Formats: sequence, C-alpha cells, structure tokens
Amino acid sequence: MVLNYLANIGRFVPEITLIVTMVGLIFVEATYGDEEKGSSKGYLYATAYLGLLFTLVKLIGSLGDAPIAIYSNSLVIDPFSTMIKIIMVIGTAACIHLSRRSSDVYENLKGEFAIIAVGVLIGGMLLASANNMLTLYIGIETLSILSYVLASLKKNDDRSSEAGLKYALFGGISAGIMLFGMSHIFGVTGTIQFAGMLDKLKDLDTVQIAILMPSFLMFFAGIGYKIACVPFHMWAPDVYEGSPLPVTTFFSIVPKMAGMAVLLRVTMVFFSGDQNVLQMSWIATLSVVAALTMTVGNVSAIGQRSVKRMLAFSSISHAGMMMMGVLCISEIGTRAIVFYGITYLFMTLVAFYITSFVQDAYGNDHFERFNGLIHKHPLMAIFMLITMFSLSGLPPLSGFIAKFNIFSALIDKNYYVLAIIAGLNSVVALYYYLKIVKLMVFKDPESDEKIKGFGFTNQLVITALTVPVVMLGIFWDQVLVMANGAKIFIVQ
Amino acid sequence: MVSLPSFLFVSFILFLAGIVVMIARKNVIAILLGIELILNAAALNFVAYTRFINNNLEGHIIALFIIVIAAAEAAVGLAIVIRFYQIRESIHIDDATQLQS
Repeated sequence: MVLNYLANIGRFVPEITLIVTMVGLIFVEATYGDEEKGSSKGYLYATAYLGLLFTLVKLIGSLGDAPIAIYSNSLVIDPFSTMIKIIMVIGTAACIHLSRRSSDVYENLKGEFAIIAVGVLIGGMLLASANNMLTLYIGIETLSILSYVLASLKKNDDRSSEAGLKYALFGGISAGIMLFGMSHIFGVTGTIQFAGMLDKLKDLDTVQIAILMPSFLMFFAGIGYKIACVPFHMWAPDVYEGSPLPVTTFFSIVPKMAGMAVLLRVTMVFFSGDQNVLQMSWIATLSVVAALTMTVGNVSAIGQRSVKRMLAFSSISHAGMMMMGVLCISEIGTRAIVFYGITYLFMTLVAFYITSFVQDAYGNDHFERFNGLIHKHPLMAIFMLITMFSLSGLPPLSGFIAKFNIFSALIDKNYYVLAIIAGLNSVVALYYYLKIVKLMVFKDPESDEKIKGFGFTNQLVITALTVPVVMLGIFWDQVLVMANGAKIFIVQ
Repeated sequence: MVSLPSFLFVSFILFLAGIVVMIARKNVIAILLGIELILNAAALNFVAYTRFINNNLEGHIIALFIIVIAAAEAAVGLAIVIRFYQIRESIHIDDATQLQS
C-alpha cells in the first residue's frame, strides 16, 4: 500500500516542487529586514523563478508520458492536464515578473505576491488534474481562498479591500452551493470518484434524475463562478478593476484556465457517453451560458472608460468562447480549447503588460492615456496593435486560428446557431479592440512625457511574449499537433 | 431510528436558511454565517448519505475536509472584513459601492 503511494510520487513532482518553492519563499522573505525594498529582493525572485522553471521543465518532459491515475484515483496525470499546467506556470511566472516592476503593488508586499501566486498555482494544478470530488473541492478552495488575499493585496486602498470582500463573499456562496450539489450527486451515485461515473449515470429512474438535475446545476455554479461565466460573472468586473493590475492579470489567466480544465474534465467524464436526459440538459445549459457569456462580455466591454475593466469584460467573453469548445464533448473541442488557452495566455499577458506600463507612467488606465502612443513608443504601440488585432480574431494572427478551431469544433457537431452567435460576437469585439488602436495611431499625444522604466529587459520580455502571438498564427500546425496529443484520460 | 429523508429535510432547511440569510441580511458578518450554514448543510448530507446508502468512509472524510476548509475560509473572510471596516468604518454590504460602473 505504502509502496504504491511512493511509486506514484514521480508523476507528482511538479506539484511537490511548487509546494517546496512556496515554503522556501516564505523562509527567504523572512530573512529580509523591514527596510528592504520589495523589488530588490533578488534571492526571493531567484527562488521563485527557479522553482517555476524546474516545474516547467518537468512538465514539458512528461508531456509524452502515458496517462495515469495516481493516489487511489484521486488525481489523473494526462497530457491535457499537463498542457493546462504548463499554461498556468508560464502565466504565473510572467505575473510575478510584472508585479516586481509594477508600482501598483506596494513595495513591502511584493514578496507576498510571489508567495501567494505560487500558492494559487498549486490549487490550480490540483484542479486541473482533479479526478474525484474531494480533490476538486480542495483545489477550488485552495485557488479561491488565496485569491481573496490577492484581491485585497493593496490593503490601504478602499477599492482593493472592497474587491477582496466581494470576491470572498461571492466565492464562499458559490463554493457552498457547489458542495450542496455535490453531496446529492454523491448520494445518488454512491461515490465521490469520477472513475466509472459514466456507467453509474446510465440507468437511472425518474426520482434519481429529478434529484441529479438541480444538483448538477448547483455543481456547475461553483465551477462557473471560477471561470466567471454569466450569470455568475457579477463579481468579475468589480474584482478585476479593484485589484492591483498584476493581480488582475493573474486572475484572468490562472483561475480561468484551471476552471476551464475542470469544467472540460467534468463534462467529458460525466457526459461523454450515449445520449440521455442528463447529458442533453447539461449541454443545453452550457450552450445558453456560453452564448450569454460571450454576448454580455462583449456588449459590456463597449462602454468602458478604463482599459483594465475593458480587458476584464473581454476575458469574460473569451471564457464564453472556450466554453463553446467544452460543450462539443469531442476531441476537436478539447484540442481547440488547449490551443485557445495557449494563445489567450500570450495575448492577455501582452495587453496587460502594456496597460501596466501606461498606468504606471500616467497615473490611470483610461483610454485617453493611450493617445498617440505610437509617436512616443513605436515598439510598444506596435505590440499593442498586434495583440488587439489578435484578440479580435483577425487573420493571420494566432487569435484567428484559435477562434477558427472552436468554429470547426462547433460545425463538426452541427451547432450552427452557436457558431453564428460566436461570429457576430467577434464583430462586436472588433469595435472596442480597434478603439485602442485608433487612439494609439491617429490621435495626438496628450503630452510628450515618455514612459520611464521601459528599458532593455522589459522590451525583451514584451518581445518574447509578442512573438508567440504572431508565430502561433503562422506556424500553428505544429502546436495544433501538440494540442491534439493533449487528450483527456477517462479512468474506468 | 431516524431515517434518511429526515436528515435530508434538515439539511435542506439549513441550506434554505443560509440562502435567505445571504439575501436578506446586509451585515457582512451575517452573510459569512449564512455561508457556514450552507457548508454545514452539505456536510450533513455527506454524512447522512454515507450512513444510510454506502458504508465506505468517503462521505465522512469529505465532511472532515469541509470543516477544516470552512474554518480557513472564515479566517480569511474575517481578515478582509476587518480591513474593510478599518477603511470604511462600516460592515454594511451596501457601503461597498466604490466599484460600480
């Protein structure tokens, strides 16, 4: 028994590394005196980057390994979860770098950001490979509880503490509702394991179905809250706006990808079998929610003054787009989501990085601050332009290929109405993304004041993040092959 | 002997009470209490189902985890409420109005 557990530890190394990193970070942080400035804590950042780099190398190395369920089927390590984990690790590392140079995070709290971000990442990784309800619940709570702290990181700012409060209340409510739904699913199926769930959901009598239907809706509420889909999105714009900018960046990548991964896994494990009432109602729910999420996200993004809030709404609409891949319940859908996740990661990072530079230089992130950026910082403006084109899904950039994949998954299953809704939404999205481009290129700058701190290192980082946005649009076939390998392993 | 439906009824009442508290009360502390009620309803369900339907330990273990995680969540929630109180000098949810578009 014990030997079985030890034998599986090899597949669990990335998570263990991160736990060690987090504890190490706490110790390193404690060695610094109070007067030390946050951004000059070299050892702290070295520890964080080393831990994340080792995790990343380990994850990439295990991409080709055979899928396996470890620790009494509680976790499943398959190529899909590994890909999602890679996306989340890169996102975390980039956010830690952003937090180091952003003035939106207090100097004495920069160390805390790194520690808590790694903690959230651990929760996200648990969630991405959760294979029973207990791991799912622990993963969601690890992710959420630490996120509440991150949202209120700017602790003397009333907006930030309000964001944390709203996040904590909404999070607690939805976790409770999810758990209540879970308890009834457990009661009807008699197990918390996902393994073999397909058979248990096959032959049910009317009473059982009557119990399961609302239970699955409640279960969906908990996951839907994490990916901020309508109608559980009310917290998202407020929290995204109130939190410091690096935290917003972090929220729009790690919890969202983790939630998407678990939603896809739950859908595949519970409903990939023959047609039945439960499956049909689940797909119907997902379709309505996905269409609403996209539309509400895009329409609300139009009237915003703050670029950060606009990007928050745009990330809601991207979540809706990814959900369209989930409801296909097919391998093409899975592949499309993994590809979408990769491109979404880089596009979001570039957009938020540049917004962060502008906000630090001019005090706020309103649209007018981008006026005439191309005259002051051509490189930055061109990168922003590329990213905005890519986010709106114009060819030949990566955003287009990502959307195209989702469309092909939808057409493959004959969901034409959803495809049309998604297409119309892309047109709406074009409007507000191109608004920034228009301001940057055709308006005169408000002042000649240049942005400080856009030095060589930061130019290098932004370039490194923009290159994939372009390259994935041109050399997409290799990445698609890689995403195609990321199949979900359903334990029988 | 008390039967399974009675347990389910009690937990459903707890759940409803939690939802009502969260909707009706404007005090943040009361809302946190409502969340605890919902979590306890779920824990009670898990234990009851384990006792009457399947006799393995899964439900008991999940109930233990719920207790621990609920405590952690309440701790973080209260810390944030204290921060909010120090800044705004109120724990009324209607005073959280800075972030509305």
